[in-house]
Amino acid sequence: MKVVNLLAAVDAEKCRGCKTCEKVCPVLAIKVENRKAVVDAERCRGCAACEQRCPDYAITMVKREQPIVVKVDVDAVDYGQIEELCRRARLNPEQIICYCTATRAEEVAAAILQGARSPEEVSFLTGARTGCKVECIQPILRLLEAAGIKPEPPKDGWQWYGRTVTVWEIPEEVKRKYATRGFYFDEDIKLLDRVVSAPVQGRREPDASSH
Amino acid sequence: MRPPIKPIPPRQSQYGIDPALVKTRVCELPGMTSVLLKELFPDLPEVIYPGEGGVAAVRKATEEALQKIDMSKIKPEHSVNILASHHGFTLLGGEPYAEMLKTIKDVIETRTGCKDIRLRAGVGLRFRETEEYIKRYGLDQYFNGKAIGVAPIDQGIPIETEIGTLYGIRKIYDADWIVHAHNSDVREVHFHRQVDRAVKPFGMSYARIETRSTYHQNLGPRAANFTARAIFDSPFVQKKFAFASFLTVAPNGIIGVDADSDLYALNDRVTQIGCLYYGKMMTLFGEIDECIAALDFPCPVVYVFSAGVIYANFAGANTDLYDLDLPLPAYTWYTEAFYGKAGRPLLADIPPVNPAIKMCVHNYAWTGYPSAFFSEHIPTVVVGQEQADLFNRDPQNLTYMKHAVVAETTEAAMEFAYKVTGTRKVIIFDGAMGGINVSEPMAELLLKKAPAVSERVENELLPKWLRQRGVDR
Ligand code: SF4
Ligand code: SF4
Repeated sequence: MKVVNLLAAVDAEKCRGCKTCEKVCPVLAIKVENRKAVVDAERCRGCAACEQRCPDYAITMVKREQPIVVKVDVDAVDYGQIEELCRRARLNPEQIICYCTATRAEEVAAAILQGARSPEEVSFLTGARTGCKVECIQPILRLLEAAGIKPEPPKDGWQWYGRTVTVWEIPEEVKRKYATRGFYFDEDIKLLDRVVSAPVQGRREPDASSH
Repeated sequence: MRPPIKPIPPRQSQYGIDPALVKTRVCELPGMTSVLLKELFPDLPEVIYPGEGGVAAVRKATEEALQKIDMSKIKPEHSVNILASHHGFTLLGGEPYAEMLKTIKDVIETRTGCKDIRLRAGVGLRFRETEEYIKRYGLDQYFNGKAIGVAPIDQGIPIETEIGTLYGIRKIYDADWIVHAHNSDVREVHFHRQVDRAVKPFGMSYARIETRSTYHQNLGPRAANFTARAIFDSPFVQKKFAFASFLTVAPNGIIGVDADSDLYALNDRVTQIGCLYYGKMMTLFGEIDECIAALDFPCPVVYVFSAGVIYANFAGANTDLYDLDLPLPAYTWYTEAFYGKAGRPLLADIPPVNPAIKMCVHNYAWTGYPSAFFSEHIPTVVVGQEQADLFNRDPQNLTYMKHAVVAETTEAAMEFAYKVTGTRKVIIFDGAMGGINVSEPMAELLLKKAPAVSERVENELLPKWLRQRGVDR
């Protein structure tokens, strides 16, 4: 869940149409048309990636008059399916996978079970990866993969390139080679396995509108 | 009792409030004093900075350290990227790191005749941060316009490693040679646990989001450190790597410059300093039974620092961050992730946030790092509506203020904290150099506990810590 209270605004005077913003936007909400960047206000999730990377400082983040609450209803999907998908991705359904928006694995799983087919759609629907924009791409890719989906990165974009290794996949020879240097592979597998199978606490988040 | 030490001044930045709004520093309030780190631990090494020589001492030490580096591979027609990281610029005001970077450039140019030397400065989650430092320290001019900040969402490049494909930032690697310019400050010891500290920027400051996410989500709290080593060891990086130059740092300041073309040799030396000196500081912080923690430093909440140690480490000082047998510190993103919906950890043995911190007074700290975990778990008072508003605009901190209250002035915030917590022990994270600003009762506690901590670290803890990392004393 994310309350989106900002919107990217382009200063057309300053914009040179370089497309950097288009390549970094995690929800594909900004596009260069006729050599000027144009924001789709409905899509924009206020992450400021474009504002932070525009080489010409042509973008500012403005306050939205009407904030949007972005959220996938976990209750609308059978929780058994959610649990099954999360655990297949080796995540506990309740673990947080996006620290900025406190999005839990279950919400991303619900988004996927309701039809999200790419990290961009997941981010658009849940708000995950529209905070720091850095740390949560892997669990999203893991959940998509666990659902049998193979997304393609946006063409020519820099949004993401690919899923990377998890601790369960580290080759035994690598573990052996570095056994004495403080990398606790097998011990961390044990820890994470316990987290993955830990029971859910189950309290429903208070509805955003009640805040 | 000694007077307080002058803290690092607030700094103009898009991630913090206007410095003019920081009217009072916590150390200026009545009852505050300071303790020199050498009073606590007389065996701390001598420092070259801060000192009478100023940054000239850093230049001299860098030149001396680089003398032993073989630069014959670098030809006049080649290009060299000097790789830097944002944290170096918050260390002791930032000037020493900027000076080391300038000196490296000068030495390479003089020794090799190479003219195409660029600065590529990586960031954390504040993508413009090193751009700000580049301007502030005149690095743009110094590098003839070839100094840029690079961010983890910039164009990437796949790197084939022993554990599969990982991703670096393309502009980091777009030269014939790379020079790794860093520092040995322990910084996020809660994350790296002093494992491969010298290698870590290859998995962070120089890496794309996929790699950083691997570190923070895919490998587990201790195995994660392998991410950086995998990248550094890759044939792609190895064939570009020229050498490393590090400011070596102890909690009391910069002790020298260490350079090596064997990064792992340097890494072992850094591990010794990190475990011995910072290990003592951290262990001493773990002895604090109750306190008010005051944040007053131009950096995000987690990174504000005191005695060379950051607030995030203090939030985990109830655990031994150096003991790798302990799976999870009280704060890392792994720990944070493992709190369920009812607000309890998913496993009973996950340690709580340092219960000694009764309240946090946020006098001055920046946005640009997901910090709501701190205000959620530690009662927090933020000074000034301007800071509250800044947090409410930060996509990484939309709920920080949901858990915190606002006080109008620093005085009011501290009075509130004294009343509610009932303690007069205060520790101030304001970057004071060479010592630490605290309240008088806290000074007494630290001075009393330090000798036994020193002994315990040397005789009991240090041998274990080094053994776990495969480093002999
Ligand atoms: S990054 Fe800036 S200059 Fe480039 S297209 Fe976007 S708004 Fe225009
Ligand atoms: S979602 Fe982020 S990158 Fe995309 S337009 Fe909005 S603020 Fe810019």
